[in-house]
Amino acid sequence: MRGRSLALPLVRILLRIARPASREARAATFFTGGAAVLAGSVLADSATEHYRGSFRNPAMVLPLLSASASLIINGGGGSFSRKTADVVHVAAGAVGLGGLGFHAWNVGRQTGGYRLGNLLYKAPLGAPGALVLTGLLGAIAGALRESRAGAVVPRLVTGRAAGAVVAFGLAGTVAEAGLLHFRGAFHNPAMWLPVSIPPLTALSLARDVARAIPSPATPYLLAMTATLGLAGAAFHAWGVSRNMGGWRNWRQNLLAGPPIPAPPSFTGLAIAGFGALLLLKGRTHG
Amino acid sequence: MAEDDADIRCAGGRAPDPLVPGGWLEMREYGEEPVDFVIVGTGAGGAPLAARLAEAGFSVVAMDAGPFWRPLEDFASDESHQSKLFWTDDRIVDGDDPIVLGSNNSGKSVGGSTVHFAMVSLRFRPDHFRSRSLLGYGADWPIDWREMWDYYREVERVLHISGPVSYPWGPKRPRYPLRAHPLNAAADYLARGAEALGIDWAETPIATLSAPIGKAHPCVYRGFCVTGCSTNAKQSALVTWIPRALRAGAEVRDRAMVGRIETGPNGLATGVHYHRGGQWRFQRARAVIVAGYAIETPRLLLASATADQPDGLANSSGLVGRNLMIQLNQAAWGQVDDEVRSYKGPPSLAVSEHWNYRDEGKDYHGGWSYMSQGPLPVTWAKTLAGGRGLWGRELLDEMERANHSVGLKMVGEALPNAANRVTLADETDQYGLRIPRVTHSYSDNERAMMRHATRFMEDSLKATGARETWREMGDTCHLGGTARMGFDRTTSVVDADCRSWDVPNLWICDGSVFPTVGGVNPSLTIQAIACRTADRIVAMSRQGAL
Ligand SMILES: Cc1cc2nc3c(=O)[nH]c(=O)nc-3n(C[C@H](O)[C@H](O)[C@H](O)COP(=O)(O)OP(=O)(O)OC[C@H]3O[C@@H](n4cnc5c(N)ncnc54)[C@H](O)[C@@H]3O)c2cc1C
Ligand code: SF4
Repeated sequence: MRGRSLALPLVRILLRIARPASREARAATFFTGGAAVLAGSVLADSATEHYRGSFRNPAMVLPLLSASASLIINGGGGSFSRKTADVVHVAAGAVGLGGLGFHAWNVGRQTGGYRLGNLLYKAPLGAPGALVLTGLLGAIAGALRESRAGAVVPRLVTGRAAGAVVAFGLAGTVAEAGLLHFRGAFHNPAMWLPVSIPPLTALSLARDVARAIPSPATPYLLAMTATLGLAGAAFHAWGVSRNMGGWRNWRQNLLAGPPIPAPPSFTGLAIAGFGALLLLKGRTHG
Repeated sequence: MAEDDADIRCAGGRAPDPLVPGGWLEMREYGEEPVDFVIVGTGAGGAPLAARLAEAGFSVVAMDAGPFWRPLEDFASDESHQSKLFWTDDRIVDGDDPIVLGSNNSGKSVGGSTVHFAMVSLRFRPDHFRSRSLLGYGADWPIDWREMWDYYREVERVLHISGPVSYPWGPKRPRYPLRAHPLNAAADYLARGAEALGIDWAETPIATLSAPIGKAHPCVYRGFCVTGCSTNAKQSALVTWIPRALRAGAEVRDRAMVGRIETGPNGLATGVHYHRGGQWRFQRARAVIVAGYAIETPRLLLASATADQPDGLANSSGLVGRNLMIQLNQAAWGQVDDEVRSYKGPPSLAVSEHWNYRDEGKDYHGGWSYMSQGPLPVTWAKTLAGGRGLWGRELLDEMERANHSVGLKMVGEALPNAANRVTLADETDQYGLRIPRVTHSYSDNERAMMRHATRFMEDSLKATGARETWREMGDTCHLGGTARMGFDRTTSVVDADCRSWDVPNLWICDGSVFPTVGGVNPSLTIQAIACRTADRIVAMSRQGAL
């Protein structure tokens, strides 16, 4: 049952990409797909982390609600009205920004303020940023669906803006992974991967945005980053097993071990990155 | 003694793998043929030596009176059950301030006291290695602090110490191998108090994993540390040096109590008499290393007296057993509104070494550090009954509030005093060996330090809003000094290499060799000295100087 309900929107997305459609429409599908993956990652991650925090503050349910709505809207393959979708994207942005502010405030009021120990263990500054990105990617997709040939916002501008959002998002996610992997003292050499490949991807994409020409390396880097996000989840699952009691003690170790839902946010951003490339490539077609 | 037989685990070419339930590691066995080194005691001093010397190619038999545990299956989350880790054989304590022996200062297991130690892993303040010349008290060590700094580094790597990225005191040190653990609420109270009083604090460098390493799990913050860690997050000698020693070809003999070191007509040690499996046996060796900690080491040396060395082996200086030093372990406690549940997590996650590094404003010699505390329920009840005199209804009521109690405890430097000593009593123990008599009195210097420290810790608690504060004045911890190292044979028992002045093939390498104890917990220093000794032995053997 559950499998089928997840599979349907996926199939719809794949069909949409395969179907001959305008470049905007195809790009929009990448952005929606990326936003859906990001929303899923945020939902699972904030659910586990805020559960661990016992939902001490009622506002801690907000990212769950917002990410769920984003997941439905973006995963639904465009079967919602533009208005509804916009409300959800704006809400994601607002909740994400609110979360950033709240986490920052929360860290600041701990003993020692912004000392490293608090940055490593207290409310993560970067995590709510993923929800902001979800909203942004969703909104970009919405805008692209609206645009026709000769649209008000030219394709190049949208492509550049979208590329910049993805590159920036990748950089933020790298920073978050870097901080948390530093906390784990890079005890496994694989922990260096998310701080080596995605930064190259972000740089390559940023260069493409600046020069308005996609370089041939970018799609490969995006593909590697997308794969890395999935591999990261697998690595984290292995990491969970290395805690006392292993997977038999999953109720504790899912919370104590590395977060399994976090790395796929790289995948979500990389998928959206393909959309940005598509727009940059198509800039000459007006 | 049938019970002894049943529980011997190191035999038949294998020893337990402490990291795997039911697991075994292959073990080389030497029988009773002469080996290069027999090591008495496998704790912080003996275990690194066993590993390092075996790795250097020496044949090594390491004996311990205690059992060989597999923490994952042998340790229960139960304070009383876990008292099986402590050295609780009969001893007589006297003096003006007799020491309480057992749980808080000695262990009897393969891995020694590190199996139930609190994992705090601090380096000495460099000046404390030369307190006599630089600060005017105690005695100088014959080892330079810079050399120790390198060995500290080695031990910190082996134990995967988790520590802060920048340490506020002393010369710059390399980054700790693992990141510091998150503070528990008790540690947060130390930090807040320190900030309010305007002094530095830090996450404690500690020997428990903040990331999985090999087969060992990361810490689960359940706080059973001082009763033995059942996850193997704790980097005790049992789970670090001992497997290394076994892999390198050392033989470990569990439940082997050494009763006497035998010497030949030339005065050299020839081996040890030990009790195992219900009978006395003899292990021949080309050299003997004693690492039984500050009470059992002098006891064994005194018990090994001969006609030529009537006052005990290696005791021409008369210093074997003398200068026993405890470390002051006084505390301040208070009540707060929030639920602290200080027993969650390793007991001492935050530390201040302010008073180790500051000499002004003291009316006494020596340094001290203080740490957050997390007593388990039985220990806490004993503290309230013994340290505060509560009993009956009062005690029960106070126990009800345990989740809101918070405290700070010092580790303070006691000065060497020849009158504090270990001697042999006439009574004998279960092996028929004369038991040690431990004589201890405080000097005015210690009393002044206690007064200052408890006042300061109480101020720190008050600065965080704690109420009903009180001072626990009775406790001591960590032992040292009964076979001190030094510069010459008249004023010390061993030289800088832990080699005895009198018996050239007898080495002493454990907490007993400390000339002074400094204001930090000793195990990192003991292990660093052991690594240095191993290097020195290898070097001397190359030069044919053994
Ligand atoms: C509760 C507790 C908490 C502690 N917390 C800390 C801490 O946080 N940080 C820190 O640095 N230090 C701590 N310590 C102190 C530290 O554990 C000891 O200082 C250190 O282990 C001493 O090392 P050692 O080699 O001298 O002796 P031990 O580690 O005690 O080893 C001696 C071994 O020798 C064996 N032995 C003795 N005599 C004989 C004999 N005749 N024959 C055979 N075997 C014998 C004993 O069974 C024992 O296993 C703590 C100690 C305790 C008890
Ligand atoms: S708190 Fe950590 S070190 Fe202490 S017993 Fe538990 S797992 Fe071991």
